[in-house]
Amino acid sequence: MSSPGATDALTQTSVGAPARFRDDSPLAPPTGRSGRSPGQVAWDRLRRDKVAIVCAGVILFFVLVALFAPLLTSLQSVDPVTGTRADPYTTHTELLDLNGFPSEGMSSAHWLGIEKGLGRDLFARWAYGARPSLVIGFAAAALSTVLGVTFGLLAGYLGGAVDRAISWVTDFFLSLPLLLLIVAVVPIVELRFGERGSLTAEQTSTIRFWIVMAVLVTFGWMALARLVRGEVVSLREREFVQAARAIGVPTRQILSREILPNLVGPIIVSASIAVPAFITAEATLTFLGAGLVEPTATWGRTIADAQNSFRSYPLWLWPPVLSISALVLALTLLGDSIRDAFDPTTRC
Amino acid sequence: MLTYVLRRVGLGLTVLLATLVASFLLFFAGPADPAQAMCPEQRCSPERLTEIRENLGLDRPLAAQFTEYFGGLFVGRDFEFAGDVVHCSAPCLGMSFLTKRPVSEEIFSRFPATVLLALGTVVVLLAVGLTVGVITARARGSALDRLLIGGSQVFGAIPYYVVALVFALYATRIHGILPQAMPLSDGLPGFLAGLIAPCLLLGLVYSAGYARYTRSAMIETLATDYVRTARSKGLDEVTVVRSHALRAAIGPVVTILGLDVAALLSGTLVTEKIFEIDGIGKLSIDALARDDLPVIMGTVLVTAVLVVTLNLVVDIAYSFVDPRVRLS
Repeated sequence: MSSPGATDALTQTSVGAPARFRDDSPLAPPTGRSGRSPGQVAWDRLRRDKVAIVCAGVILFFVLVALFAPLLTSLQSVDPVTGTRADPYTTHTELLDLNGFPSEGMSSAHWLGIEKGLGRDLFARWAYGARPSLVIGFAAAALSTVLGVTFGLLAGYLGGAVDRAISWVTDFFLSLPLLLLIVAVVPIVELRFGERGSLTAEQTSTIRFWIVMAVLVTFGWMALARLVRGEVVSLREREFVQAARAIGVPTRQILSREILPNLVGPIIVSASIAVPAFITAEATLTFLGAGLVEPTATWGRTIADAQNSFRSYPLWLWPPVLSISALVLALTLLGDSIRDAFDPTTRC
Repeated sequence: MLTYVLRRVGLGLTVLLATLVASFLLFFAGPADPAQAMCPEQRCSPERLTEIRENLGLDRPLAAQFTEYFGGLFVGRDFEFAGDVVHCSAPCLGMSFLTKRPVSEEIFSRFPATVLLALGTVVVLLAVGLTVGVITARARGSALDRLLIGGSQVFGAIPYYVVALVFALYATRIHGILPQAMPLSDGLPGFLAGLIAPCLLLGLVYSAGYARYTRSAMIETLATDYVRTARSKGLDEVTVVRSHALRAAIGPVVTILGLDVAALLSGTLVTEKIFEIDGIGKLSIDALARDDLPVIMGTVLVTAVLVVTLNLVVDIAYSFVDPRVRLS
């Protein structure tokens, strides 16, 4: 039986490259970290990761833009032609020329210019457009994580028929052409809420928002469920779980007190990877015509509209393209950093 | 071994049957009214609507409709459109409401574009992914390694459809660096030239992942004893890397490739829409926009069959390579 120190020395020599250790990670003596949970270790590593800090800053910027969208929009000056301050929904055809193009570019009243065709303020639509992306990204990730963990725990711990049923559903969902199915399902579900044309544009837009969220969650939990199931199947047979069962701890408590704490790492990692995936999925659906619809301001919608006039009016296309790229990139790289922070094999 | 194969095939068949039932219920018992969709401008008298429903068999009990659809898959069936009887031979996936042609014909006529797109993509992703993976594994820790792996990480993290859109707009339409897509009916050379841009882009995007898999697998195999042995007996570096290290490292890559090919063959919705390629993906998107239910259902079914089959092939092939899989 080797001491923790000896094991560390062993792994270091077998990796064979002590010189490659990153200088920002502590070569902590084994005694120093013996009392810390994996979560604390990961948090410490994350705080020292420069990429993670920059990404967190970018994400915070977009969260603030989404939160203070009304305030930011009201900072623009009053438009001399319309005599009002811009908002994301009012159309102003008086600001357009006969071809539907805006008669002026960026100005103090319209920091990003105005929309071709309808004359809405593009800065306001950009700022408000951060909201659906972030809400769908985080909410869908949270809900699908809850679903995935629940199904994974049940399948892995209960085993037998429950396991076979849940695993079959997981396999079934994973072998469907998901994007195609989602694109097909969204309009069909929408018809449940009313015939075409019987709802106002605002109602349709709100209903679409919830449908897109629900559909993304419905088809987004399988990978995590599979992961959690696999972990639980091996944890179930470990001594501490068997001990708890032997002294008569109820199943619910075994799951929440004994098994779940051991899965915190994989769950956090999977959730952090899910957020950018859902934001991308929402924007892709919107682009394909099965996502969010007018008048809700979304980046995906603006990109889809602007691509037809990209040659004559690139200013319309670029702000949402750059924003969604930066947001998803930051979230993905932060997810990678979180995964590395929890990964014992990259721990030095 | 045989039990494992039989169990996997059985599982695959239940999944396919469930897909069939679920999509039938969703599309034919769902709230969308195909008769409405068939009316020009959606303005039909109630009598005309009833007539269309009778024609399509939509007024019959759901179970009868399902048996008919299911039977059509194996023996074919006849349809009646305004007095004309059209035969739809097996595997019959129904008739397109709009073109009045069998859905299977519609799908198979779009297959060449999708298959060629998938093939071109696989060539690019393997060439780029394996090369970058091997180079970065050998130059591990160097500036080149960090640049290539960091670059592929950043590139792969940007939403794909945004990359594809900007690339399509600027490379093929504004600057014309690469040719735009053309339909197959306008001649083969133009059609093939139009596939260069999407293949290049899809291949590059997919190759980011392959580069990383190859890199980490190569780092492992390059450190093994048999590679050291190969080097010490005087083999040249190219042979060592190609026949000893890469060959051992490529196993998991092939597994992932199998699954990605299934995804590519099911039609890449975004790519085909953005680059305007007449493949399966564009067929389903167009059908969706026009409520052409049999076509949507047909594409969902065909792609499900493709994915399930390729999954099965990959799993069974893998169980031959790695016997531990069979025991689970």
